[in-house]
Amino acid sequence: MRVSRELSKKLIIGVMLTPAVVVAVLFLAVPAALTILISLTELDYRFKWIWCGLNNYARLLTDPTTRLVVQATVIYVAGTLAFNTLWGLCLALLSTHVHDALGTFMRAAWLLPRVLPSVVWAMLMMWIFSPLDTGFLNSLIISMGGQPVPWTFRYYWPFLFVVNGFIGSSLSAIIFSSAIKSIPPDYIIAAKVDGASSFTIITRIILPMIKWHIAFFVAYNTLSLLASFEYILLTLNGGPGYYTTEVMILRAYHLAFGQYMVAMDFGYAATYVTILLVVGLVLSIAYWRVFRLRRLMIEPKLE
Amino acid sequence: MVKVRTILLYLVAVVVAAVPLVPLGLLFALAFSEHPVYVRGFTLANFEFLKTGVLFPGDPHRSKIYPNVYTAAANTLLLALGNMALVTLISSMAGYVISRYSFRGRSALLGTFLVIHGVPASVLLVALYYLLKATGLLNTLLGVVLVKMAVDLPLGVWVLKGFYDGIPWDTEIAALVDGTSRFGAFFRVMLPLVSPGIFSIALFSFLSGWGEFIFVYTFIQSSTNWTLSMLIQSLFASEMGGINLALIAALSVFYLVPVLVLFVVGEKYLVRVTIGGVKG
Repeated sequence: MRVSRELSKKLIIGVMLTPAVVVAVLFLAVPAALTILISLTELDYRFKWIWCGLNNYARLLTDPTTRLVVQATVIYVAGTLAFNTLWGLCLALLSTHVHDALGTFMRAAWLLPRVLPSVVWAMLMMWIFSPLDTGFLNSLIISMGGQPVPWTFRYYWPFLFVVNGFIGSSLSAIIFSSAIKSIPPDYIIAAKVDGASSFTIITRIILPMIKWHIAFFVAYNTLSLLASFEYILLTLNGGPGYYTTEVMILRAYHLAFGQYMVAMDFGYAATYVTILLVVGLVLSIAYWRVFRLRRLMIEPKLE
Repeated sequence: MVKVRTILLYLVAVVVAAVPLVPLGLLFALAFSEHPVYVRGFTLANFEFLKTGVLFPGDPHRSKIYPNVYTAAANTLLLALGNMALVTLISSMAGYVISRYSFRGRSALLGTFLVIHGVPASVLLVALYYLLKATGLLNTLLGVVLVKMAVDLPLGVWVLKGFYDGIPWDTEIAALVDGTSRFGAFFRVMLPLVSPGIFSIALFSFLSGWGEFIFVYTFIQSSTNWTLSMLIQSLFASEMGGINLALIAALSVFYLVPVLVLFVVGEKYLVRVTIGGVKG
């Protein structure tokens, strides 16, 4: 009887868990290892494995575009992160200070850009902020007798912060507002009785009590932003001009899948990706320690 | 004094809530516009393509470049449904085992799922391209479905594990004491109780597959396998001169109909998936 129970447990775990493990190994772990291997080769459109040691890494260090690419990555991650966190905080505070129905509607409305297919969102933003006279904002300005503004040519970083931030801030707004809602109302009522202003309540009670949620979001979002390029690819695609908005992961994408056959420089592209993978792994392990995510993994009681 | 401040607060809140709806409203206005670039008047002419699926009936050259709209729509639906079925099936099983059983490597597995979810899988495109080419799955929808499913799976497992965790142990123990097997308890007690979670993940993975762009753009060359996202992107990239923006807007509205319907129906379920952190 004991043996058969042990056996049936093994059977259940085997049958129900194997698909997920196989998928994770085949499509996520193997490609990650393969990326590191490819970065040590000159793999290109011929798909021949020519080992070249650390040549690609040496090339990365001497490549004059590397500095521009790293600089763009820092600006992109820092700017979008600031937009996501601060605007998400504003949305969370605003939506928890009005009637609950309006607050819920607000968060739902801000979830919309995230749910829209990326292609449609990018196209809409490109049309609204188009530097041409036919762009929506410019046609509005012209019809009122003003001068058209070269939006995406001149203000390319703010444009990208808005395009990405409208999507990212919905996530932070949801995390922060559920954290604010879980603060015991007694604290806020007590502060009000003592005559504290709304501003004091926010800075002295609400913000200190949700600081871990903010830190978690910042940590998590840094990781996703380092490896995100879909909306840049769909809008400015590294331009305008010479590598102005070409972040590391977009550079890797262009090296591998750019428009021409000469672009298929998989070895060099994998070098960028490997560096990002290592940075991502180090950051994940650090966050793991800091946020004590282990408590999410309490062992089950029932056997 | 307090009244004025409250009114002001509500006014700001209403304006802020309306901001993300403005671009969507503009899209609809352009789709029904009489002018190909500016928002003017109201006409249904831009939706002519719905009759035959041909975007440029008067232009045989361009008609040859772009696939039939309904072919692209069918491909999109296939990708979305395939992604939904695989993610929901696999993660509802794995989530249960991880929530209810203790076994060697459990926390390592959960940790791995968390890390690979945190680092977006778009970084693996180079290696995935190589793998798909080696297995002959490049340029097929099946290849895209498999990759997409693998990318959405970690989030599915985490979210569903959370839903299973939320069901009291007593419920399951009661079923076992009454003589059900573990399988029976899973199918007849646990699955019905986590149905909101399963619905959330199904909705999320459907929308995620429906809107997918990067994998289609990278792995699919022949236009007969294009999805709507790919069709709209390539139209927009070549028509950016401003020739026929209203037609692209109309096509986008067609593409958005299921998204908006599902969003309105399932918004409160989607919020529960987003808490785990998705994209952006």
